[in-house]
Amino acid sequence: MKFRGLQVFVASIICAMTIALFPIGVDASAESSEIVETSPGVLIDTSKYLPKKLPAPAILIAHGFGGSKDSVEAEAKFFASKGFVVLTWTARGFGESTGQIEMNSINGEVADTRALISYLARSKDVIIDAQGDPRVGIMGSSYGGANALLAASQDSRIDAVIADITWSDLQQGFFPQSVERSQVSGPFKKVWVGTFFSAVSLQNAYLGECGSFSQQWCDAYENAVLQGKPSQAEKDLLASVSPINYASSITAPTLLSQGQADSLFPLSESSKTAQAIKKTNPNTPLSMIWHADGHDGANSQATYLREQFLQWFKKYLLNEKLEFPVFQFTRTNGSISLQDSSVIPKVFMSDKLPFESKSQQLKLVTPTAAAIYPIGGVPGAISALPGIGSAGALASQLLSSFAGFSPAFLPGQSGFLESAPLTEPISVVGPSSIKVRITSTQPDATLFFSLVVRSPSGGINLPNGIVAPVQISNISTGGSDVVVNLPETILDASAGDVIAVGISSTDQGYETPKTSRFYSVSPLSALTFHTSVATAAQSSTANILWPLGAVASLFVAFVYVRIRRPKIAPIHENSVALVEVDNLSKIYKDGHQAVSNLSFKVQRGQVVGLLGPNGAGKTTALRMVMGLIFPTQGSIYLNGKSVYPGSPALSNLGSFIEGPGFLPHLSGRENLRLYWRSIGRDDEQHLEQVVAITKLGTALDKKVRSYSQGMRQRLAIAQSMLGMPDLLVLDEPTNGLDPQQIAEMRQVLKDYATAGRTVIISSHLLAEIQQTCSHVVLMNRGQLVSFGPMEELLTKNQKSQSLEEIFLELIGDDLVIGQEKV
Amino acid sequence: MSYSAAKTLPYHIELYRQLKRKHTAFAYAFVVSLPVLVAIAVKFGPSENSGEPTRIGSGTTDLIGLATNGAANFTVTMLYFATPFLLVTVIALFNGDTVASEASWSTLRYLLASPVPRTRLLLQKIKVSLTLSALAVLITPICAWFVGLIAFGTKPLQSPLGATFTNSVAISRIAIITVYLAISLLFVAGLAFYLSVRTDAPLGAVGVAVGTSILLSILDAITALGKLRDWLPVHYAFSWFDALATTIDWSAMIRGASYCFIVGTVLFALAINRFAHKDVTS
Repeated sequence: MKFRGLQVFVASIICAMTIALFPIGVDASAESSEIVETSPGVLIDTSKYLPKKLPAPAILIAHGFGGSKDSVEAEAKFFASKGFVVLTWTARGFGESTGQIEMNSINGEVADTRALISYLARSKDVIIDAQGDPRVGIMGSSYGGANALLAASQDSRIDAVIADITWSDLQQGFFPQSVERSQVSGPFKKVWVGTFFSAVSLQNAYLGECGSFSQQWCDAYENAVLQGKPSQAEKDLLASVSPINYASSITAPTLLSQGQADSLFPLSESSKTAQAIKKTNPNTPLSMIWHADGHDGANSQATYLREQFLQWFKKYLLNEKLEFPVFQFTRTNGSISLQDSSVIPKVFMSDKLPFESKSQQLKLVTPTAAAIYPIGGVPGAISALPGIGSAGALASQLLSSFAGFSPAFLPGQSGFLESAPLTEPISVVGPSSIKVRITSTQPDATLFFSLVVRSPSGGINLPNGIVAPVQISNISTGGSDVVVNLPETILDASAGDVIAVGISSTDQGYETPKTSRFYSVSPLSALTFHTSVATAAQSSTANILWPLGAVASLFVAFVYVRIRRPKIAPIHENSVALVEVDNLSKIYKDGHQAVSNLSFKVQRGQVVGLLGPNGAGKTTALRMVMGLIFPTQGSIYLNGKSVYPGSPALSNLGSFIEGPGFLPHLSGRENLRLYWRSIGRDDEQHLEQVVAITKLGTALDKKVRSYSQGMRQRLAIAQSMLGMPDLLVLDEPTNGLDPQQIAEMRQVLKDYATAGRTVIISSHLLAEIQQTCSHVVLMNRGQLVSFGPMEELLTKNQKSQSLEEIFLELIGDDLVIGQEKV
Repeated sequence: MSYSAAKTLPYHIELYRQLKRKHTAFAYAFVVSLPVLVAIAVKFGPSENSGEPTRIGSGTTDLIGLATNGAANFTVTMLYFATPFLLVTVIALFNGDTVASEASWSTLRYLLASPVPRTRLLLQKIKVSLTLSALAVLITPICAWFVGLIAFGTKPLQSPLGATFTNSVAISRIAIITVYLAISLLFVAGLAFYLSVRTDAPLGAVGVAVGTSILLSILDAITALGKLRDWLPVHYAFSWFDALATTIDWSAMIRGASYCFIVGTVLFALAINRFAHKDVTS
């Protein structure tokens, strides 16, 4: 039956684990598709997901470039399951929707979004704030993120915005320029823009070489590829779809999320939008997340981001009282998994945006770095490229650690402006900049700046391969002095490392000059950088609570042990006997009653024999007298003081019970010495007297392991006599002794008792007891059969003068003779 | 009569009783032999003669691959090797054997009847076994450092996370790791001690404690268990890796150390309570 119980137990555990591991899915929310005409001739393909409870606030989820409403289906279902009406749609020019791609123009895609908000306002499923004004949030990644920001700037009905990995200034995205306040556009980011454009033009090639792009955008792309720089018309076109130019109109709470592994729209894009919003509307709730993902794809933090986005909407659409950190960022070098050596991202948070924190200065000691630019830019450095960006950066870091070579910094084509080795660690979070003088053997220069850490072993760490392109023209012979904004980044340097500004003349991701030239770059200022006072996000309070919990556990444990300790019986003041056993019973857990209602008294100077057949309860009774076993009932007093485990009354008791116990790896003498030091008494130990009893001689200094049974026996009896206690309790002391030793032992015990000391002996050698003891306690089956002076017992019984015969008579048939105690 | 409970089983006597045991010496020999054996294997093992510095393992930038970089790296790698099994076993031995072996030698009943109060006996035993355990944790990095120094010389500590530390920083980081290890192993100590009180078979207590630790590690490796794994004390066994980052993120280490401390305290308290109510029949 027991086995069966185990089976049921195991089965139920497996069941419970199965349920825990595979929770029954949240019930599929209702989904309905509808075509909505947002403007004449533009039919938008939408899907609406309804939560269980209606009406509810709505969330618009815009998809990324080249996607459709299906690519955000998982997101939509998640938010619907959390109690939001979700509307997804395929942007114009993609999928089933008609119309042409206008890159989120105000009158194009943004107007579509506003029409969809009006469409939601007519739905009875959505909570309405005012006539025609639904409670609505909008979110999107990349292309969809720009749509969210632009829509929020145009439509005050939007109550919360989340924009992930999107652009702030599209010209900066396609022609990045890192020189502060420069009118010159940066080098054309040809590989990324080509990838971007062909994603659509190839997909819809049947529509012509432009695919579903509008003619305006198609022409702009062609011109950019041919010229390598934008015309004024193109600059205006790019500006017309750049959130930075509209951010002053954004008043809804805005969460800007940007990825570190993003060479298309780097972290600085989110900073620009944030600064623009802060400038005009400083009171607009604004938070920023710098996660570890991005267009280059590295560490997926989908679960974490989804949770943060949900919190944002809960806070601003459901008005839940939640704390949302102003700035969160992920460190990818926090910890690594031991199972596969992959990096485990760690999230930190701060109450300041990175550009708001105080800036710091670091002096660079390299006077000048020089770099050759080869004709046509070949061979070219590889910092980050679409798709392989982060992987490339990782590979370059690993390579540089051991070969002194990084593909982002080709020999001869690159240089470093280095700091002195750091004396203390530096953590760069956010923007940094430096003023430099650039000379070129041609009138113009195209360079790629970055912020790197060089470790003493030579390894170069360029986070995610992000570079800041610099393009200047009209360089005089003495060079041009410019302030370069280095890539915004999260970079950790330890003591001994060197922080350096990396400069490369080539980069395969960008359009670079045709002619060869020679550059030099000299620092004119210290490096200005920002750092963030941040705490690990998940455990800001846990960091204090856990240690407090640990201290509390110590206290609770102490109280628990105190409360649960066994109760101590009161002192029995009237007792005059040395040992008083009062109505003692013991029932073991298995139900066996070993001792029942045992009572007897032992006076000083007596030698008491405890007799009984095997299993009579002698040893159990003696163990209770010594405080080793808890009585089920009754009490024991030594000198009137009650006996319990550790009772001070026991200090006046020497014992030998159920065989000797010694540390086998120590000598007999050392065992006695350590025992004496352990029992907490500092009076006369009578060692010589006691040792004489053992008759061990020189064997006393040999290890106990080598002793015979008899030697151990004598050593144990000697140990029990250490300090000459008033009461000696001996259980079968003569086991294993030869007849001569037994005779000697008899004399020892008699001598011991003469000085008013008391001895209790249990034995099954009746003749031995008869010769040694003055009193007898006779037990059978746990009960007292007879108790009194030996002579009384012998004289009362007329038939015999032998204890053995009296014993047999009293016990009757129960006795099993001749069996040694096991 | 001059009996005083506070004088029973003094700390140094119990320490002497344990130090005199062969198995204590064996346990420490075990701990010391790990770095020595690894260093010998690397120095005199078959090499491919590629001219490159010898490495352990297949990787070049992971912890094991960096071991032969210098004394500091060697020490960290030895701590990594020692964490999951060696130190667990040694600490289970010190804590799991201490009461159970007294029971098996029959000395327990004589100490208790002498009388050493039961709680006092356990507290003294806990103090001594934790001292021996802490010593084992401390010896591991010290010995590894000296062996690494002789075999590979001093070079800055290269973290698998890309950072490099000077020797003084490296020593402080190794000290942090060592302290963390000592605290996080309190869970094993508590478990072994609790089992030691429950059984009279010394090796039984040690074996079950080590086995439990291994079982929990296996459970911890099952990612499908998700957040449940946060409640396994072994989940935090390697949280000391965070001490190898440029700026230390303390959160996991604080949580891990606190949690293991709490679990250890609970187990020690259960052991004391159990022992206080136990019928000593051994």
